Amino acid sequence: MNIVEIENLTYSYPAASEPTLKNISLQIPQGDFLAVVGNNGCGKSTLCKVLNGLIPHFITGSFSGSVKVGGLDTVHTDVGTLARKVGYVYQDFENQIVRPTVLDDASYACLNYAIPDYAARGLEALSLCGLQEKKSDYIWQLSGGQTHLLALAGAVALRPDILILDEPIAQLDPRHADHIYEILRELNEKHGKTIIVIEHHTDYIANYCKNVLLLKDGSFAWQLPTQEALQRVEELQACNIFPPQITLAAYRMKQAGLLSPHAPLPTTIETGKKIFDKLAYAGTQTRPQAESSDEEDIIARFHSVFASYKTIHGKDGHIFEGLDLEIKRGDKIAVIGSNGAGKTTLMKLMIGLMKPSWGNITIFGGNIRRQKGTNGAKQEAFSEDSSQTIFPDKVAVPYWSPEELSRMISLVYQNPEEMFIQDSIQADIAYAMKMRGVADYENRTAELLERFRLTELKERDGRLLSGGQMRRASLAIGIALHPEILLLDEPTANLDIATRKEIMRTLNDIKHITKTVIIATHDMQLVCEWAQRIVVLCRGKVIADGTRDEIFGNAAVIAQAGIRPPEIFSMGRALHQRALCYTVDEFLENFAEVQNEQ
Amino acid sequence: MSSDIKKKFSEKLSENIMDKMSIDFLRTQVLKNAYGNKDTVIAGLDPRILLVWYLFFGLIPWFSHDIIFLLGCFILVTITTMLARVAGLVLLLFVLGVFSQTGYLLIVILLFGGDASAFLPLLTLSLKISTVSLASITVFSGLDPDQLANGLMWFGFPERLSFSISYAYRILPVLLQEFQNILLSYRMRGNPPSRKTFAGNLKYLIYQVKVIMHAFYPLMLNTAKRSRTTVEALELKGYRYAAVNKEVKKIRLSALRLTNNDLLFPALSFMWVAVTLLISSLL
Repeated sequence: MNIVEIENLTYSYPAASEPTLKNISLQIPQGDFLAVVGNNGCGKSTLCKVLNGLIPHFITGSFSGSVKVGGLDTVHTDVGTLARKVGYVYQDFENQIVRPTVLDDASYACLNYAIPDYAARGLEALSLCGLQEKKSDYIWQLSGGQTHLLALAGAVALRPDILILDEPIAQLDPRHADHIYEILRELNEKHGKTIIVIEHHTDYIANYCKNVLLLKDGSFAWQLPTQEALQRVEELQACNIFPPQITLAAYRMKQAGLLSPHAPLPTTIETGKKIFDKLAYAGTQTRPQAESSDEEDIIARFHSVFASYKTIHGKDGHIFEGLDLEIKRGDKIAVIGSNGAGKTTLMKLMIGLMKPSWGNITIFGGNIRRQKGTNGAKQEAFSEDSSQTIFPDKVAVPYWSPEELSRMISLVYQNPEEMFIQDSIQADIAYAMKMRGVADYENRTAELLERFRLTELKERDGRLLSGGQMRRASLAIGIALHPEILLLDEPTANLDIATRKEIMRTLNDIKHITKTVIIATHDMQLVCEWAQRIVVLCRGKVIADGTRDEIFGNAAVIAQAGIRPPEIFSMGRALHQRALCYTVDEFLENFAEVQNEQ
Repeated sequence: MSSDIKKKFSEKLSENIMDKMSIDFLRTQVLKNAYGNKDTVIAGLDPRILLVWYLFFGLIPWFSHDIIFLLGCFILVTITTMLARVAGLVLLLFVLGVFSQTGYLLIVILLFGGDASAFLPLLTLSLKISTVSLASITVFSGLDPDQLANGLMWFGFPERLSFSISYAYRILPVLLQEFQNILLSYRMRGNPPSRKTFAGNLKYLIYQVKVIMHAFYPLMLNTAKRSRTTVEALELKGYRYAAVNKEVKKIRLSALRLTNNDLLFPALSFMWVAVTLLISSLL
């Protein structure tokens, strides 16, 4: 039975010259777990908003064709009725949470629709989403992953037949991402919900989804079972969708003649094992990771740092408990760890936005906190001659105010919108140089715009750009002052894979401009391809610090920190326990020959 | 020794003001004010009772000139404010407010040798303002916003008002966080005047105020962007249906129940007022 039936649907947004959805006809069977894929701006989200009636009831525009959801024609059914059939979780899910406490938010929709047992419904939804323990928490106490689950619970509480999730795992670490998908699978299999996800992560599609729907520039391309869909490597890549690394590796092996041209391409590690089992591990060591920093100059040092945040009940939440870390000039560090491990806190401490509650942080020989008993300005004066006599046991170090730190360190936020403080990106990039009197700031701005391919867009407000463009603009703002240290918080979060690759290229590109770069990220492909040094945070401490071989080769660290190496690495490991390949290229080099049958 | 203490104190003070008046501090205070005192006697009371109670202590003091009665009311609302465990920032604002209204005049009168004829009316006015303010603080900051919203709704205020109150508290921490980041953008990329001299400090202050004003523009635009999703989500969550559905209001208000405490509280207040009136008439 089809729960969704769409016929000849064409839709264009008000004042748009071209339709966003073009003559789409499709059916979605009840109980499906469908992934909707397609390049940016191909109408995936628009299609989903058609299903819950927001289009055409709430967002007008020109609408033709027919859409039936659970037998109801959406044009003749109001949003309220449809909302109880179709649950929707937005990509920016934190904005769909409107109540202050967890249970309150989960049951809010039920209350609004005057369902008498609204609280019980909310509770039931929370327990389906694994949040029952949190029911009386305030929403600002939740982590990003939990907030997402709450948004899902809010949708589930109305007991809809269909659940739509727009990029559910874009901001999550792998453990939380798995958790979300496990819950979705349970809702699908045990509770018979039809699940529709807009998803870029093909490895998750391979592991969880039953079918895949490809949209191409607003038109229906095809709808196929996942296995079959992911075989179409070329077609997917043409739409900027990257098949799982395992599939890609097998595809290239096929082209090289290593695999039989008729063998199906594997999509998961399990199927990969069968296909690749004939291959021998060459054992050629992976090429050494990009040359590590040769300078021994330590420019930042964290010494047994404790940091905490205030909660409203006066108890402190602890983030760091005795963190030690040294950063050398020229380091290219990736800081990894699960959500809430303190990656962002580390950066906030470095720019002086947060002060440690205990311990010392020195940056370029200066302290980020005024030392007890001395005054920063006076201290500097003392340090010239008399410090040794007045403080015989204490070597006076200068104090850096946040303003002074900002002349040495630049931070690019996770959310680029917060970096746009002018009305065009050109003005934004120029702002810091102009304020600080950089002589030829106009030329430098033009150069930066060119380097980041933003010249065409220079008059636009940063907020109105696409995700990738926003990210590029924020990077340009970050390096405009040639900081000694560049801090990047999740530079690839919320980007589709094509844009992510583009940002990775840009990051490699600016390696020689800013010598010392620290990236906080969940993106293990970025870590493997870019970082020279990896720092793993867990429970307020650095639990591992080293090259990617040292980190990913250490199963204990991986398990403890809740991180996951790229899938191709796990594939290599599954084939040979000493294999260390981080990219598809390295995998192909290491498994280049067919085993001799003996 | 004493100079040492003085120095330490002034350092502590300057450090405290700089550290504490951050947006983070503001955020915690706002949240603390709204939700940090759920377990107090005041928060446990029925919002309807408290609103009626507020109607009395928010209005009657304006019409009375009886010093003893006013003093009695003032003591009572001071106690309720303490019971409500109001956040420090709110109290500070209260003290500043009263001082800027009449308090400074009192001091001026004392300094320049004014007599009781000038002193008494000012004291009366100060007491009135303080009493009314503290009563408001007790009710509006002692109750959590949802309770307050429910109470108002019971008295027939529109659903939209009560939703707005809760939503304001929901979104305020988010906005403050965002505001902090935007300010940080200015700080990281701006060029504040040096603070080495007194004039520099003054310039720095002016610079800060300017930045705060400028920062509102991006904040508004970002908020507009994020509210697109919120508006759609509210539509899906049936917000508009609830606003016209009487049934919803009934369900929501069914959670309000009177307990013994709810009767005890106004009774005690009433008795206290009666006693002060009695004393006042005896004197």
